[in-house]
Amino acid sequence: MAQKRKNNVNRQIASVHLTSKIGQTVVAILGVTFGVSMYIFMNSFMNGVNKAQDDLAFSNLSHIRIDNENEKNDYNPVQDVFSLGTVFNIRNKKDIQSETDIKNTHQVMAILKAQPEVKDITSQVNFSVFFRNGSKKINGSISGVEPNNENRMFGSAGKVIAGSWDDLNYMKSGLIIGRILADNLGVKLNDNVNVLTPDGVSKNFSVIGIIETSVKEIDKSRAYINISTAQQLLGKNFDYSTGILVNLYDRDKTTGVVNKTQNSVKYNMETWQEANQQLVAASQLRNIIASAVSLAILLVAGFGIYNIMNMTINEKIREIAILKAMGFSGGDVLTIFLTQATAIGLLGVFSGLILGISISSAVNQVPFKVAGLTTLPIHYQWIDFVSAVIFGILTTLLAGYFPARKASKIDPVIIIRG
Amino acid sequence: MTTTNTNALEVKNVVKYFHDPSTFQVLKGVSFDVKKGEFLSLVGKSGSGKSTLLYILSTMDTDYEGSLIVNGNLLTGQTQNQLSIFRNEHIGFVFQFHYLLPEFSALENVMLPAKKLGKLSFEEIEHKAYESLRLLDLEEQALKGANKLSGGQQQRVAIARALINSPSIIMGDEPTGNLDSKNSMAVQDIFRNLAHEFGQTIICVTHDNDFAQRTDRTIEMTDGLILSH
Repeated sequence: MAQKRKNNVNRQIASVHLTSKIGQTVVAILGVTFGVSMYIFMNSFMNGVNKAQDDLAFSNLSHIRIDNENEKNDYNPVQDVFSLGTVFNIRNKKDIQSETDIKNTHQVMAILKAQPEVKDITSQVNFSVFFRNGSKKINGSISGVEPNNENRMFGSAGKVIAGSWDDLNYMKSGLIIGRILADNLGVKLNDNVNVLTPDGVSKNFSVIGIIETSVKEIDKSRAYINISTAQQLLGKNFDYSTGILVNLYDRDKTTGVVNKTQNSVKYNMETWQEANQQLVAASQLRNIIASAVSLAILLVAGFGIYNIMNMTINEKIREIAILKAMGFSGGDVLTIFLTQATAIGLLGVFSGLILGISISSAVNQVPFKVAGLTTLPIHYQWIDFVSAVIFGILTTLLAGYFPARKASKIDPVIIIRG
Repeated sequence: MTTTNTNALEVKNVVKYFHDPSTFQVLKGVSFDVKKGEFLSLVGKSGSGKSTLLYILSTMDTDYEGSLIVNGNLLTGQTQNQLSIFRNEHIGFVFQFHYLLPEFSALENVMLPAKKLGKLSFEEIEHKAYESLRLLDLEEQALKGANKLSGGQQQRVAIARALINSPSIIMGDEPTGNLDSKNSMAVQDIFRNLAHEFGQTIICVTHDNDFAQRTDRTIEMTDGLILSH
């Protein structure tokens, strides 16, 4: 009980100090408010930008891609016959064509489907073709896809602007074509397009859909067909594919999945981080900028509080001496001023959170119609709010601590005697 | 041992130096006892060391040689924290300049040391504070801000504040130095009353010879030594 009452009197003195110079207190609180709100806004904005960019990138990029690299052939049959050290020379050596494809697609897919981290998986058969319409001939590529799995991974159905993605499931001679490619070929929905493979196979497809992704390069050159048609076109069996695409629940866990399955999969496994290092670098750099700017603002707020606390203590130096003469200890004085700093910090952090969310939602309304965006992107993450609270309170406590310690060390005799 | 029962305060061979700007011996070995319930004045010219001695007695100044015993407790060598707790409970202080907290009312100023001590409930403290204020004829001013009071009123509030924890010793550094003669007389009467009726020990530094003559005993200091007591 006694302890509690003593704390109350320290708190009472602190609150009188805070309210008697309300203007100063408000300025100190506003410093923290701006620091915290900018921290929230900067980080939410950067997260929004990162997320928008990732969404764009992952609209045609899987988390893990499995394919068969065209390996260099080092096999030398001469060494099998003659002993080591024999001098020989082969002129104009010819290597046999090494396999660039996945022969046991379903086995590999089964291994990955068994991993709990894996969310979606699909296989593709990709190859270069000529698209022909009459005398018009355009170089491009065909993606043979599993329509349902492809849609689940990349939301392809939502990008179809004419026709229907689902028709790919049962219309084996149907093709969904990129918008610019369709324009260039001069074909419309339900028109026919002739496809010529590198091996000389030619087949007519009817346009059952036109797709518009946000990536111009794809719209200009790609068409989608059912994977079984693609396998037929190349003269391969149903277990053939050129690549397997895997999406995880958490795309940051790619390395773990690769390490676990690499031995049984035996093909080249590439994570999105390896394939798109510029993406990772850009988002990390943006995060560093956001943190640096907002921490600088908090630092300035901290110096503001330090100044105001120092001024308060210089003004109240006689009162501090009196309190000490009455029997308040250095610890009590420290408590009184740290209580003030904490109150400033809490109020500043609280109003900063509200202001931060307000600024962010206002910015989120600003129109910005580029690359699939409609407004400036904002994405809230609870970790930003937690660190804003921690940094805000830490800054005020640090800024309050040094003046408070100075106050606690005031020698009352020197002050009272003048 | 019997002396500790009747002596409120014992000072033994206290020596004090000032080091700034150059080393200078202010107190050159001061020893005396003060009995309980005694009203004592410390007089002497400026620079005689009387105020310096008072601040050592008040436990606020710990940078001295010799020993200080209050109510049988050896205070020399205790930590600042121990001393502030002791000061809060056993010593009341009245300064020449009234030194109230200007943002608090007279009543709150008086209540502060008791709240710090934390031995009574809020209601008890408030009741006691009103009693102290009534004793000093300040009941009407209780709820006024400290900075709205006249000089004499402020000094009396400061005395009420010194009384709130019923300290065994009340010390004053020129407590009437800033008061007119009427207020000065009133304060002196209060002190004498406290000493003789409530058994509280009063030690006051003063320049005022009339004040000194009305006390029970006067210690006169000169050049860091006690001239007479």
